Amino acid sequence: MLEITPNTIAFLVFALLSVGGALGVVVSTNLIHGALFLIVSLFGGAGLFVLLAAPFMAAVQILVYIGAIAILIIFAVMLTRSMTSLSEIFNRQWWISAIVAVVMLGLLLVGAILPVWGPSGTNAMLPVSDAVGTTVDLGIALVDGNQFVLPFEVASLLLTAAMIGAIVIARDNE
Amino acid sequence: MLQLPSLETLNMGAALPAISIAAWACILLLIDLWIPKDRKILTVYLAAGNLVFAFIANLLVFNQSGDSFMGMYVADQFSGVMNLIIIGTALLSIVLSFDYLKRVGIERGEYYVLVLFVTAGAMFMAAANDLILIFVALELLSIPLYVLSAFRAPDIRSEEAGMKYFLLGAFASAFLVFGGAMVYGATGTTNLNEIAASAGMIIASNSSTSLFLLLGAALLLVGLGFKVAAVPFHEWTPDVYEGAPTPVTAFMSVAAKLGGFGSLLRILVVGMSAVTMTAGEPAVWQNVVAILAGLTMIVGNIVALSQANIKRMLAYSSIANAGYILMAVAAAGSPGLANEATRGALVYMLAYMFTNMGAFAVVIAVERANGGADLEHFVGLGKARPMLAIMMVVFMMSLTGIPLTGGFIGKALVFATTLNAGLVWLAIIGVLTSVVSAYYYVRVIVNMFLRDAEASTEEATPGYSTGVQWVAAVALGGTVLLGVLPTLITVLTDRVSLVASITP
Amino acid sequence: MENTGLSLVTVVLFLPLVGFSILLFIPDAQSRNIKYTALGTSLVTFALSLVMWANFDAANPALQMVQRWEWLPQYGIGYYVGIDGLNMIMVVLTTFIMSIGILSSFNAHVIQERGREKLYYLFMLLLQWAMIGVFVVQDLIIFYIFWEVTLVPMYFLVGIWGGEKRVYAAVKFFLYTMAGSILMLLALLYVGTQAGTFAVPEIIAGIQAGTISFPLDGLFSTQSILFLGFFIAFAIKVPIWPLHSWLPDAHVQAPTAGSVILAGVLLKMGSYGMIRFLLPMFPEASVAWAPIIALLAVIGIIYGAWVSFAQTDMKKLVAYSSVSHMGFIVLGIFAMTSIGIQGSIIQMVNHGISTGGLFLIVGMLYERRHTKDLAAFGGIWKAMPLLGAISLVVVLSSMGMPGLNGFIGEFTILLGSMGSTVLGIGFTVVAALGIILAAIYMLNFFQRIFMGELDKEENKNLPKLEWNEIAVLVPIVVLAIWIGLQPAPFMNPSDATVESLVAQVVPDTTTVAQLPEAGQGE
Repeated sequence: MLEITPNTIAFLVFALLSVGGALGVVVSTNLIHGALFLIVSLFGGAGLFVLLAAPFMAAVQILVYIGAIAILIIFAVMLTRSMTSLSEIFNRQWWISAIVAVVMLGLLLVGAILPVWGPSGTNAMLPVSDAVGTTVDLGIALVDGNQFVLPFEVASLLLTAAMIGAIVIARDNE
Repeated sequence: MLQLPSLETLNMGAALPAISIAAWACILLLIDLWIPKDRKILTVYLAAGNLVFAFIANLLVFNQSGDSFMGMYVADQFSGVMNLIIIGTALLSIVLSFDYLKRVGIERGEYYVLVLFVTAGAMFMAAANDLILIFVALELLSIPLYVLSAFRAPDIRSEEAGMKYFLLGAFASAFLVFGGAMVYGATGTTNLNEIAASAGMIIASNSSTSLFLLLGAALLLVGLGFKVAAVPFHEWTPDVYEGAPTPVTAFMSVAAKLGGFGSLLRILVVGMSAVTMTAGEPAVWQNVVAILAGLTMIVGNIVALSQANIKRMLAYSSIANAGYILMAVAAAGSPGLANEATRGALVYMLAYMFTNMGAFAVVIAVERANGGADLEHFVGLGKARPMLAIMMVVFMMSLTGIPLTGGFIGKALVFATTLNAGLVWLAIIGVLTSVVSAYYYVRVIVNMFLRDAEASTEEATPGYSTGVQWVAAVALGGTVLLGVLPTLITVLTDRVSLVASITP
Repeated sequence: MENTGLSLVTVVLFLPLVGFSILLFIPDAQSRNIKYTALGTSLVTFALSLVMWANFDAANPALQMVQRWEWLPQYGIGYYVGIDGLNMIMVVLTTFIMSIGILSSFNAHVIQERGREKLYYLFMLLLQWAMIGVFVVQDLIIFYIFWEVTLVPMYFLVGIWGGEKRVYAAVKFFLYTMAGSILMLLALLYVGTQAGTFAVPEIIAGIQAGTISFPLDGLFSTQSILFLGFFIAFAIKVPIWPLHSWLPDAHVQAPTAGSVILAGVLLKMGSYGMIRFLLPMFPEASVAWAPIIALLAVIGIIYGAWVSFAQTDMKKLVAYSSVSHMGFIVLGIFAMTSIGIQGSIIQMVNHGISTGGLFLIVGMLYERRHTKDLAAFGGIWKAMPLLGAISLVVVLSSMGMPGLNGFIGEFTILLGSMGSTVLGIGFTVVAALGIILAAIYMLNFFQRIFMGELDKEENKNLPKLEWNEIAVLVPIVVLAIWIGLQPAPFMNPSDATVESLVAQVVPDTTTVAQLPEAGQGE
């Protein structure tokens, strides 16, 4: 059976946050609450990344998903106020999501139980790529002239352009 | 730990034209804040000056080919020629824009900054030798174009154009990224040279990995097919072209195609030419591209027949022209023909650039204040503005492919390379659709010269300005010069060699 | 002459373009200067083309006064001009007809009505440049360029200064001929890229030497398809039945000078192309297809004559007679005997002169009465005796009356087709029937306009011929009689070249083809 180590405890906590948050998103009748639960769930996911020794992914999860996307959802909910209190949590398309959820779960279970991935999987013998590195490696790669500085710079240019564009379109004609 | 490489190892000089435009765009954004609203012509001069600088810089480094940024950016003669065409497009459209923006009351400095961004994006696309750079460059090209399409914002058609272009463009980007990911999954690299090195082995091994590679290549083709408006990924084109401000339509009908075809040629010719069933045979993508080319020419030309609005007609014409360039791309799949086909495509694109910019210049002159530009508005133009009308005749003739214009040279080279590749059926579709296209191009001429104008109180050319006149004249010069003395451009394109730039 | 200075051919070719440039700078309002600049240009070109004729060595079958410049050397495309027995007389015909065409437009109503006089003469000179180019150029791509460029000015001439349904006729003309020629573009690109050069003499030399070959096995193999690619373009231009339907429309709607040039020169580009390109480049396919093409030609002869007889519109009548006459020319070419081909060449000149003359006459009548309906005329001889006499000569020449030029051409062609080894005698017999039909419809034409009573009031006071009208008709009559009585100077230049051409195409039968000796023809 499971050994009780600090790692296991942490895993249980994060898993609980993740699954519980997801459950909260589904059952809460207030969309604002739902969005807040989503943040909780995403935070749990970030914790799991930390446990998997992927601190960068954890940071991205918090910065991008919680910091940007979840906040965007809350903004969107607040701008469409009539949706803040719902009496029904099911609509006529519930069965579609049910099918999708069941299929996804099935796939995950198949992946987890059958020997495809993991130590007993067929690809287990493949060496892990050298490119997988630390946050420091990643940071260097983005600004190193030998690696990805050009795409990085072009990406920042395009974000600038997108920002200008958003302002140009949104600005009133003075 | 982090060692900053010196400028020499980066070989930034080779990438100078593109970098200078990108950097100046950011600086111009700040400068523009201090330029008063009634003197925006200064912004135009500053933007144009930068383009002229980049043009000259590009000529200076033309023969100084080499990798820049360690294989990310390849400055070879291919990107050299592409850059010349792209910068030319940007210059002409900036000159076209100024009076137009003033006329419709959307004069803002950001416009020129965005044009510079698109230009830099297209140049990066043509020179990118890495799937990651291709993706971000594509976005740098696209996002400002979405904004430019919606630049006439309160106007509902312009907003619709921007929105439609954005949604479908985002969709196309997703395809491109997904395709890139699959190719990366199959080959373990995003660098085109390395993809080329491993692609042949993967296909030979006939494992499931080759399926990923092919699927990835197909998705890349879909993503770029959207950008160049190839059938069946063309649905957005007419609405966007019609709704966008006309100088933007002119600009994007050329710039987006240039960027898209630049990347497409690099991906397929440099990265995927080894993807063959048996060595020495044409690449497997040849037939796919050939079918796309055939469909694009047929649909573009036939639907164009029934258009009453000149911008929609030119939109379908631009779809059709994408088909002719795709013909050359397909021919590049035959072993030993890659260079010839690439050169043909380059000459075609140059001719298309001059011709199309000229045609849109005339459209801007004729366009009504409410943005309407119907074929009917051309009636009597031959009497009202004979010079402008005669220029339009030349542009229409060039689009049809009548000799002594650049359009003929482009078509002749493309057809020749298609025949050499053994794609006779495709060449026949090409010429037959050219005849179809003659019908709707000639209709413009009929309206200008052959029909008598009814007495009209409207002015024939409300958008006429010196800018329009200059652009039309330059485009005319380019079109005719290319048609009469094609050696002027072939001395440059003759050195283009996409395959030889592989240094795995 | 090679590459030392300018060849006379180059000078003749580019003179119209010089006139074109001068014309550009003359203000629109100076009508007189515009007219005389255009006329002067065409007359100087004509004179120089006569000098070219004088310097031409008839005994030499090869190209003369050759000039080659590089254009796109890496693709094997270059500016390559020269004259030989096939095209020398065509160049002279072009410059002659153009001078006539320009002079005849001086008082044209349509130009005064619709204005844009300068544009009209600009297009005329552009057309002249392109047509001379078609005849003298020896490079496939450059040939195609000139070939297509002729479309543009003609399209505008019909479209701007044409009759009622001019837009329809102009667009039909443009699309029809473009559809034909664009397939030729593919074929010539294929030939050129396979051969590695687009220079026709080099391609032909390669085919002769066996270094270039297009396989021919069966009627639809590579050589046949290439042959058809060229043939359809030429056949539409000639036009060969059943590809003729653009011709009546274009002729009827075109202004007078346009019709004259169309009939006089543009149609000849097709038949010239057959002799210059089809026969030597695809000899086997030419022989294989000859009976089918000859059949179409003979159908055209009879059909054109038949339909012509039924017309009430003067211009349509002459237009359909062109279909008939051009059928003779094609028949002569595909008889593949040197007599037949020589007959075709002289008949091209004859048809240019007599049909050009007919269109001029029709145009003059139209200027005076503003109708093309035969029924509106009758007894015009009494009102305009000079025009009547001239018309009689032209009509007789067109129907092939001995002593006039038409007879020489048709007789030589029939003689050539009779001695043909690739065609049966049946073609000659049916074609001869065409001459009889020609006599019927031409005399009908003449009788209904000029003979009979001068019973219509409007016809009684027709204005006399203007000086320029006389000036264009007289050379035509003189030439019709001159060629009719003294054909040798006009036919000798093509002797040597045609002999060597036939020897290339059907090597074993040249001697057989010499059998019948033409009394007046040789």
